[in-house]
Amino acid sequence: MAVITNRRTRIGLIAASVAVAAGLVLSGCSGASTSPSKDAGGRSLTVWFPGNNETEIKLVEKKIVPAFEKKTGATVQVTYVDWGDISTKLNSAFAAGTAPDVFGHGPAAAADFVSNGRLSSLDSHLKDLSDADRKDLAAALPGGRVDGKQYLMPLSNQGSLIMYDAAAFTSAGLDPDKPPTTWPALLTAAKKLTERDSSGQITRSGLLLPSQDIGRQQTFATLLAGAGGSQLNASGSKILWDSAAGTKALSYFASLYDAKDGVSSSLGQDYSNAPVNQQPILLGTAATAMMSSTSMEQVIAAGSGRDLRVMAPLSFPGNKAAALEGAGPGLMINADSKEQALAWKFISYFIDSKVNSEYTQGIGAIPLRASAAQTSAVKNDPILQAFLKAAPNGISNPNVPSWVQVRDIVDKHLEQALHETVSPKEALQQAATEALPVLQANG
Amino acid sequence: MTAADPVVTARVPSVLSQNSRRASGNTAPGRKRRKWSRTAIAGLLFVAPAALYLIIFQLAPVLYGLVLSFTRYSPISRLGPQPVGFANYSALFTNGAFGNALLVTGRYVLQVLPLTVIIALALALLVNRPFRGVGFFRSALYVPHIVSLTAVSLVWLWIYSQNGLINDVLHTIGLPSQAWLLGPATALNAASAMRIWKALGSNMVLLLAGLQSIPGELYEAARVDGANRWQLFRYVTLPGLRPMLTYVVVMDIIFLAQGFAEIYVLTKGGPLSSTTTVNYLIYTQAFQYNQLGAASAMAFVLFALIIGFSFLSLRGIAGRQR
Repeated sequence: MAVITNRRTRIGLIAASVAVAAGLVLSGCSGASTSPSKDAGGRSLTVWFPGNNETEIKLVEKKIVPAFEKKTGATVQVTYVDWGDISTKLNSAFAAGTAPDVFGHGPAAAADFVSNGRLSSLDSHLKDLSDADRKDLAAALPGGRVDGKQYLMPLSNQGSLIMYDAAAFTSAGLDPDKPPTTWPALLTAAKKLTERDSSGQITRSGLLLPSQDIGRQQTFATLLAGAGGSQLNASGSKILWDSAAGTKALSYFASLYDAKDGVSSSLGQDYSNAPVNQQPILLGTAATAMMSSTSMEQVIAAGSGRDLRVMAPLSFPGNKAAALEGAGPGLMINADSKEQALAWKFISYFIDSKVNSEYTQGIGAIPLRASAAQTSAVKNDPILQAFLKAAPNGISNPNVPSWVQVRDIVDKHLEQALHETVSPKEALQQAATEALPVLQANG
Repeated sequence: MTAADPVVTARVPSVLSQNSRRASGNTAPGRKRRKWSRTAIAGLLFVAPAALYLIIFQLAPVLYGLVLSFTRYSPISRLGPQPVGFANYSALFTNGAFGNALLVTGRYVLQVLPLTVIIALALALLVNRPFRGVGFFRSALYVPHIVSLTAVSLVWLWIYSQNGLINDVLHTIGLPSQAWLLGPATALNAASAMRIWKALGSNMVLLLAGLQSIPGELYEAARVDGANRWQLFRYVTLPGLRPMLTYVVVMDIIFLAQGFAEIYVLTKGGPLSSTTTVNYLIYTQAFQYNQLGAASAMAFVLFALIIGFSFLSLRGIAGRQR
């Protein structure tokens, strides 16, 4: 190193070395950032989709998105994020300023983002759609509205019904052509369908309902609606789940896991998100199971020759049948995105009648557009027909701020009731006590 | 250094200056100033990248976390952190979930730590002698340590699953399968077993290094005095191993009390919050419920507890410094 005799030179050298070091560190920062690199030549868009369905990922990444890129000249960087992680990753990304331009989530998550000013309204874009388009999408749009404004554009309709194994029905002395129409009747049938080994352990569940995190709240919501109750009032400000209907629904749910005459094994096991070859109804470890249309389509495709059928929505006697069904996951536009126009172009491409039919048929989802129900592909699909028939009985989770936290509070107390650490009534009351301040603080 | 040289006094650490003066052997005032400055600049150049890294990526986030712990802050809010004083800390006293997470974390540490240290010590004693294949044995035991905890947890997720390895073995010998990760009574034990297996390799290698640093003369002298095998272990091996044992225990406490990846992969804190460690709770509070202030307060309470227990372990095993 040269001898430094001049004080100014010394100071300059120190400043330069600090600048170099800071530059190196900051270049490290930018290298580690999740922020997308914008194409120098064209425009680019980052899109996060929720889920881990291999069929959907292939369809979107290999077919639909490349076609969009070819049509527009834009570059789209698609990332699929597991359902369980999508909220946390989005929250982190918003905090860091690296949230994607467009992202997907369930309708119930939209209100939180809206209340924090993170979403662009889609109203102005919807006005540009033709009357025919708006009419065709009319049934799906309300699921993406918050305070009367459209923020989320559903890509499909989704729901869950009970799939049953007709052969198992026959061998248990039940008529597969006359499946149960109420929850109590299904429980009676399930007891006949349940098989146990010599130690008394269930080897084939008579009835499987989702009982894992989040899934058990959705199951409860379905049972609650079938018992004539609801989770919140219409404005979302009052808790209603701690009602007699709620207790009836949760008591029923808990009875499935009764140690002596239960009909379901593996409380808490997540079969809903398991790969198709691990689906209990395909493995023969369940005779009936609540499943989404997507899972059912995949099971039918994988289990060729099996007589698997779908039940109509169920209820408790004296009440209207209900099924969790409605607007499925949709896409939203980040309010901070610099590519607002391109973001809408991407969304509108996905809801184009031809593209959307390809998407919903590809993943086995219920069609988004009313006109799609009239296509021969849908008309000849018994699974989709069952779901379309059930649509008038569809119920969905409330779309209110902090719903994710409220849902998790409910979920935690439901779990306690299912494990019989508290009674169903106590669990629902405790959930209401804990959730009310959250609703009030953010409502 | 003299009082007549205020500029240099303010800029150059005295020890560094004295060292460079001794090294040069030159006492002329003008020459001294140049030498000190050159050394100081060279030192700064060498230290700056690491110091900047530490300040930007280690100290600054910790200090920012401390500031956040006195605020209410949602990562998706545009308002930024809002000061709330000690409210986040006082709320922890009545937070049942936090109390439960502390208990789960404590139980987790207590379940894993003694077993992993005792088994690792036994393995270290076993491989601290020459036999055919000792190198392979040592390497095989160390392999789990170099595999990512998340990857290992995924493998164990399958091992514990309904149709996994353990249930297959149980089925083969005519025993009913178990829902290892789905039962409140078994989930934390299952996670602990995996963590013991994971920590064994590194602990064994560290303790083996400790064993090999004990002078052989001490054993010879003890044998001459008539010590039996137990007495050799009790009065030579254990005291000789004490510094390394202290390090192993303290590091294990620090890592185990921050258990997250294995919990996230295996159980997601369930069932019935029976595996919700403090770190997992912090994660859900911060990124699921957008309460970064409350989560930061939890993190600093955990930090204080880890320091406290680590200090107690140091004093307990290493003894008071004399």
